[in-house]
Amino acid sequence: MTDTRELSNDAPILDVRNLVMHYRTEKGDVSAIEDVSFSLKAGESFGLVGESGCGKTSVAMALLQLQAENAGFEGGEILLNGKDLLLMGPSEMRSHRWNDISMVFQGAMNAWNPVHKVGAQIKEAMDLHVKPQLSHSESRERIGQLFEMVGLDPKMMDRYPHEFSGGMRQRAVIAMALSCDPQIIIADEPTTALDVIVQDQILSELKKIQRDLGMSILYISHDIAVIAEVTDRMGVMYAGKMVETGPTIDIFHNPKHPYAFLLLSSTPSITGPRRKLAPLEGEPPNLLDPPDGCRFHPRCPFVTDQCRTEEPPLADIGAGHKVACWNWESVPPLSEGLRK
Amino acid sequence: MGRYVFKRFIQMVLLFLVFFALSWIALQAIPGNSIEQQLRLNPNLPPEAITQALERRGLDKPPIEQFWIYTKDFFTGDLGVSWSRYPQPVSSLIAERLPRTVMLFSVALLFQYLVGFQAGKYLAWRRNKRGEMAITIAGVSLFTVFYPWFGLMMILLFAVKLGWVPTNGFIVESIWRDAPLSANRMMMTMFTSLMLVTAFIGLTVWASARLDRPSQRRMVKLGAWVAGIGAFFVYWLTNDNLVYAKDIAVHLVLPVSVLTMVGFAGVMLITRTSMLETMKEDFVLTARAKGLTEAMVRDRHAARTALLPVSTSLVLAVATVIDGGIITESIFGWPGMGQLLLASVVAEDIPVALAAFSFTGILALLGHFAADVLYGVLDPRIRVTSQG
Repeated sequence: MTDTRELSNDAPILDVRNLVMHYRTEKGDVSAIEDVSFSLKAGESFGLVGESGCGKTSVAMALLQLQAENAGFEGGEILLNGKDLLLMGPSEMRSHRWNDISMVFQGAMNAWNPVHKVGAQIKEAMDLHVKPQLSHSESRERIGQLFEMVGLDPKMMDRYPHEFSGGMRQRAVIAMALSCDPQIIIADEPTTALDVIVQDQILSELKKIQRDLGMSILYISHDIAVIAEVTDRMGVMYAGKMVETGPTIDIFHNPKHPYAFLLLSSTPSITGPRRKLAPLEGEPPNLLDPPDGCRFHPRCPFVTDQCRTEEPPLADIGAGHKVACWNWESVPPLSEGLRK
Repeated sequence: MGRYVFKRFIQMVLLFLVFFALSWIALQAIPGNSIEQQLRLNPNLPPEAITQALERRGLDKPPIEQFWIYTKDFFTGDLGVSWSRYPQPVSSLIAERLPRTVMLFSVALLFQYLVGFQAGKYLAWRRNKRGEMAITIAGVSLFTVFYPWFGLMMILLFAVKLGWVPTNGFIVESIWRDAPLSANRMMMTMFTSLMLVTAFIGLTVWASARLDRPSQRRMVKLGAWVAGIGAFFVYWLTNDNLVYAKDIAVHLVLPVSVLTMVGFAGVMLITRTSMLETMKEDFVLTARAKGLTEAMVRDRHAARTALLPVSTSLVLAVATVIDGGIITESIFGWPGMGQLLLASVVAEDIPVALAAFSFTGILALLGHFAADVLYGVLDPRIRVTSQG
C-alpha cells in the first residue's frame, strides 16, 4: 500500500468535521455521534472500529444522508470534495449517492430485493448515475466485467438473489458498489456473518480492487483484526466519540487509549508477540444519559478523579496519532498486558 | 414454472371433484319430499318429462347410482333440463348467466385491487402524515358497513334521487327491442375489447424494458398508452352499436362502484401492513443508498415486494365471489349466476341448482388457479422451490 501513501498529501475527498448527531426519542436525546472528525484521502482506506452501539453505523448512514427519521444534526459538517452534504437538498444528495459514495452492506443483511434479478438491481443504479447513459447491452457487458472482477460468473447476473450463496451474494454486493465508479466505498461489516475462509477472500478481493481502481474505502467493523488487515489509518469509536485515531500500524501495535488497549488485549494475535488475553468487561453506556467526564471512565482500569468530571480532548501525541485520554501515558505497552 | 402450474392444476381438478360430490349430496339432503315426489307435484312439468327424467337420470335408483349417472352426464356435457323453466336446457341458462357474473365481478375485483393497493401504498408511505387518518376511517367504515343496506342507500341516492344511473337490472329492455345482436354478445365484445387493450398496453410496456435508451423506453410506453386507449375510443365511438354498449355500461356503474367501495379497504389494510413490513427491509435501504428517487424506491422495491401477501388475499377474494354474488346480484337485480342459484334453490330446481353450484365452483377454482400462477410469477422463490 505504499503507492496510496503518496496520494495522501492531496486534499481529502471526504472530510468529516466535528459531526454531532442525536436521535430524538420520547425519553430524550440519544447522543449517537458526538464531535467526530476524520478525513479520507483519495486511494486511502480508513477504518472505524468499536463495539456495537458506539455510533459506527450512524456515521456510515450520515455519510449517505440515510439516517433514521428521528436523527438530527446538531453541528459539524460532512465535506465531500469541499461541499457540505448536510446542506444539500434531497435531489442533489441523490445524485451523489452511489455515484460518489457507495456502500458494501453487511453480508448478513438482505441487501438484495428477492423479487428482482441481481443484474437488474445493479443496472438500476447504473441507469441513474452513469453518464452518458449505457445501452442495455453495454450495461450488461459492464456488469459482466464487474462480476468477473469480484470472481463471479457473469451468467449469474440473470439469477435471483436466493440462488446465490452467502459469499457470492457479498461478492455481488461489491460488484454493485463498484458499478458507478464511486470515489468512496463504505464497507459496513463487509465480512461479518461469512465464514473465515470466505471472509479472507472477500477482504483480499476488496484490497486488490482498491489497488487497481484507486478508490477510497471506509471500513466499519467491530473486529479490530479486520480493520488492521486492510486499512492505512483507523479511528476507534466509543459511545459516539472518537477516542483514538492515527495510522493503523501505530494503534495496532501501540494503542494509547485504554479502550483501544483493552479491545486489542481481548483479541488474540497470531503474528504478534504472545500475550495474555484480557476480557473487556462491562457494556457501553446508555447514550440517553452518557457518563460525565470521559465516557469510558466507568469501565476504565486507569481511571482517575479528573476522568470523572472533565472530558479529555482528542490530543495529538505525535505522528498523526491522537488520543482522547488524560492518562494515556500510563497505558502500558500491549505486550505487557494488564497487571491485575 | 411449468411443473408448478401443472401441480396446481391437478390440485384444482381434485378439489373440484370433492366440491362436485359435496354439492350433489347437499342438494339431495334438502329437507322435504323426495325428488320423485317433487317432480310429480311440480305443475310446470308435463308427465312425459317426469318419465324421461326418472328413466334417463335414474332417479328411481339408489343414490350411489344416481350420482354415478349424474357425474357421467355432467362430464359429457349433458346438464339436463330445468324443472322450473321447462323445457329450457340447463346449459343454455348457464351460458346466458355465467358471462354476466364474470363480467361484473372481474371488473369490480379489478377496481377493488387497484384502488385498495394504491391507497394502501399511499398510507404506508405517508405514515403519520395528513390524510392517513381520513382514508383509514373512510375505508374501514365502508368495509364494516352492512353491505346490503349500503347498496340500497346508494341506489336511493344515485339512481332514485339523482337519477344518474338506472336503479337495477342489466339492460333496459325497450332499447334492445330492435337490437341486431344479443346483450350477452354485446357484453362479450365489450369485455374482449377491454382485455385486448389491457393486454396490448401491458405487453408493450413489459417489452419496452428491453430497449436500450430510457428515452426510447419512455416514448414506447407513452405510445402504447395513447395507441391502446385511442384505438379503444375510436373503435367504440365509430361503432353503430354504441347505444347498446352504453346501456350495459351504465348498468355496471353502480354495482361496480359499490363493490369497490365496500371491498377496497380490505385490500388497502393488507397492502399497508405488508408495505410497512417491507419498508423495514434492508433492500429498501440499499435502494435508497443507490440514489433512487423516493417514487422508484416505493414502486420498484417496497410496493413490488409488498404485492405478495396482497395476491394471496386475491385468492380468497375470488372465492367470495360466490356468496357476495348472491347478495350483490339480488340488490342490483343483476341476472347472473347468483340470482340463478338463489332462484333455483328456492324453487327446488335441482338440475339448475347443481349446475349453478358446479359452475360457480369452477369459477372460484379458476380464480384460485389464476392467483396461484400469478403468485408464482411475482415471487421467483416459489418457482424454484416448487421445481426442486
